[in-house]
Amino acid sequence: MPSFELDGKTVEFEPGEKILSAAMRAGIQIPHYCYHPGMSVVATCRMCMVDVIDMGNGRPAPKLQTSCSMDAVEGMKVETMNEKVKDAKELVMEYLLINHPLDCPICDQSGECVLQDYSFEFGSGKSEMEYSKRVYGWRDIGTFVALERNRCIHCTRCDRFTREITGTNEFGMFNRGHELTVDTYSDRPMTNQFQGNMADICPVGAITEKEFRFKRRVWKLKKTPSICVGCSTGCNVTIEYDKNEVFRLKPRDNPDVNKWWMCDQGRLTYKDLNIRENRVAHPLGKTAEGFQEISWENAFSAIQEKISELQPTSNEVIGLVDTHASNEELYLFKKLLKEGFDSDQLFFPDVEWEQPVSDFFINSLITSDKNPNRAGARMLGLKGAKSSEEVTSKIPTGTKVLLVFGKPFEDENLLSQAGNISLVINIAAWQSGWSETADVTLPGRLHSEKDATYTNKAGRVQRVNTAIRAFHKTRPDWMVLCGLMELLDVDNKADSAEAVFQELSENEKGFQGLQWESIGSDGINAAQFDEDPGRNEVSELSKTA
Amino acid sequence: MIEETLVLFQNIRNPSYDKSLKGYKKVGGFKALKKALKMKPEELVEVVKASGLRGRGGAGFPTGLKWSFMAKNTGKPSYLICNADESEPGTCKDRELMLKDPHHFLEGMMIGCYAINCKHGYIYVRGEYFPSIKSLNEAIDELYAAGLLGENALGKGKRLDLTVHTGAGAYICGEESALLDSLEGKRGHPRVKPPFPAVSGFNACPTTVNNVETLTCLPFIVNEGAEAFKDFGPENNAGTHLVSLSGHVEKPGVYEVRMDVTLKQIIYDLGGGIRGGKALKGVIPGGASSPVLTAKEIDVEYSFDALGKAGTMMGSAAVMVFDEDTDVVKLLHRITRFFNHESCGQCTPCREGTHWARLIVQDFLKGNGNERKMKRLHRVGGNMMGTTVCALGDAAAMPITSFVTKFPEEFEKYYTQAAA
Repeated sequence: MPSFELDGKTVEFEPGEKILSAAMRAGIQIPHYCYHPGMSVVATCRMCMVDVIDMGNGRPAPKLQTSCSMDAVEGMKVETMNEKVKDAKELVMEYLLINHPLDCPICDQSGECVLQDYSFEFGSGKSEMEYSKRVYGWRDIGTFVALERNRCIHCTRCDRFTREITGTNEFGMFNRGHELTVDTYSDRPMTNQFQGNMADICPVGAITEKEFRFKRRVWKLKKTPSICVGCSTGCNVTIEYDKNEVFRLKPRDNPDVNKWWMCDQGRLTYKDLNIRENRVAHPLGKTAEGFQEISWENAFSAIQEKISELQPTSNEVIGLVDTHASNEELYLFKKLLKEGFDSDQLFFPDVEWEQPVSDFFINSLITSDKNPNRAGARMLGLKGAKSSEEVTSKIPTGTKVLLVFGKPFEDENLLSQAGNISLVINIAAWQSGWSETADVTLPGRLHSEKDATYTNKAGRVQRVNTAIRAFHKTRPDWMVLCGLMELLDVDNKADSAEAVFQELSENEKGFQGLQWESIGSDGINAAQFDEDPGRNEVSELSKTA
Repeated sequence: MIEETLVLFQNIRNPSYDKSLKGYKKVGGFKALKKALKMKPEELVEVVKASGLRGRGGAGFPTGLKWSFMAKNTGKPSYLICNADESEPGTCKDRELMLKDPHHFLEGMMIGCYAINCKHGYIYVRGEYFPSIKSLNEAIDELYAAGLLGENALGKGKRLDLTVHTGAGAYICGEESALLDSLEGKRGHPRVKPPFPAVSGFNACPTTVNNVETLTCLPFIVNEGAEAFKDFGPENNAGTHLVSLSGHVEKPGVYEVRMDVTLKQIIYDLGGGIRGGKALKGVIPGGASSPVLTAKEIDVEYSFDALGKAGTMMGSAAVMVFDEDTDVVKLLHRITRFFNHESCGQCTPCREGTHWARLIVQDFLKGNGNERKMKRLHRVGGNMMGTTVCALGDAAAMPITSFVTKFPEEFEKYYTQAAA
């Protein structure tokens, strides 16, 4: 690989790459505002100026160059910190700040604001501007993001975003020169489904998420890498939370999954992580007086008693699982049925779904498949059922035990039929028709409360990590399943989600060779992945989806 | 006493000239195109290179060299775009050519199209030039009717179309890459270079952008040869060029001169001296963006290189003369107001600097000036120099720094008087 010298360090680059992106890949930060790796280069903020003291041919560049737009050349020597560059940066900072309101104390971006960071690092700390600042009128641009134009530094990232990334073109630059500003066209509100990204890419507080506004100062937020479970794409996100309350999800850059983006629907799933009603907070047992809180010991001993009383044969046990379950849970559930009851009657909802295909990558992020782990269930060889009718027909009369994970196939007929089954066990984080039908309900956890892996629509195995504390009487789902396995004398050595995954990767062909560590925060492609037969490519997500 | 040298203006200066196609043919029109079509395009490029023709739009880049940069064998069409968005304050030469002798210019444009293999040329005309636009469109209609444009314009089976596109009144759209954006239907914002238009220009195809006057030189060069054109000026500054003389002179107007006359000769011989016999204070020699010259500095040869050496530039050859009564601070205020209004706003230094500079100059006019502010004005102006994507930052900076350095006493007068 060819290389050039940046502040004395050797930096490798791919032919045609710009100085800035090569430096960023090498972990060297060159300050910039308008440059974004996902969008076209405009080189207008002038913050990424560098001094090219040797253009690779022994001659220096005649003036400072913007590193975002200048091609790296073999043997080039670049300085980013010399006096000339420092002066230029100080100048740009001065110019940017003369009309910036400096309202950091009431600005939500404060703490993660690049303008703030750079003015500490490169600014002179003083200004000679003695005239009144430029003020724009207030604009409402829709429901998801708020626009505060006075804070804008005109990097045009938002403008380029709607032109180049979503292709919706509803946002743009207006007026000229000193009056240049951003707005939507013809006073219309924003309509695209990816507006939150505009708040992310805005280097200052000009565009902020309405959901997050005025809720928490960002430096108070703790961050845990995770994925979004809103649909089968599995966008990489960071869960940001404080005092056990999730405040927002931010997309994490992953070139193989979601690049830098995620959809607004996905962002809003943060609300689910905070809901305390409708959760199963402790084990529940059905008694004559209704549902009662019971201890884990009582729950397990009751189940054990009932099973030894029923003595179910292999075709008298049925398992149902929804595909919000992680790979580990699916695997343990399958193992529990197989080794505990010698049954392979484990069904998951397998429906046809729509994958939008578009010239704009970002549209492919939203699928109509709202199950984060259907691919995992298919790879583990579970049985798919298209509808609850199909499941109903597959439950033979005389079924004695029904194990339900989550809330799959919620349907009145099925639930009432399940009412006749002697033992219905539900393992779930959420209350549902199943928890109301089940004889015993064991509380599980949400993906923000446990360590687990999910497999996305393209067969990429990705990890979620424990971010917030769950109800203290709940247990991670793998632990619940291991508990049940113990009751049934199934051989089990796993004592953590990681151990379950290792066992899974040893036993399952699709996951062969994968290591918990190697999944890391970016995920890893499954060893073997067959395209989902239920996948329908559509040019645009149909309205019914 | 110098006189005009008529090459571009030979028809316009002829009182009996009929600007229709018939009239143009009568004075030998379209002979050059015929001759050019007998050459290979590469030969034509060589001839123009040899003639030493430099772009008349402002930068003075050698035209033949520019053509030779056009990316070849790309599988994409090539475009010749004529920049007729003449918006540099003080410049009015292209308007004359398009209005009074459109066929002469169009012939040059067609020769240019042939040289770079362009099948569809665009003429981007300043939106305010209604009469010129009308004249051009009428001339183009005539050419289509006569079969000189269209199916077999450049020889049998070789099609050429010309389209007139009007701008919407933005100075920045005279910058070639902003012009291309505007022509594509986008906001006129200058693009980052590289890639240069010769590689990726209009619709991402190889493109050359030439000025009206540059293209109008071509019929003469083809007819009379490169050497004849070279003879009109000193080494490296070939040909005659049009000077838009305005301001406090007796006879303002557009004059065609050789490149070896001096600025003084242009003002006093062609322009008839300063209006009312007053004394000269200064001259802006090449459009509002060029550094100003004081009365003592005007004995300079009016050519690209000589003016460059004198610390200014020829730009679009718009000479603005101001006499002893002129208030230089007010003049600078007018210029800064112009650039403040016309900055596209994408680059930080220019967007913020042009406005700030205007406010400071305005402060002087209000009597709030002081020495510190003068230094600041110089700094704010100078900081725009060379720090932006296009040359507008430089264009806005040069008058500011040059006015402050060359006429400091005028600024001082403002605040000392206010203090008294």
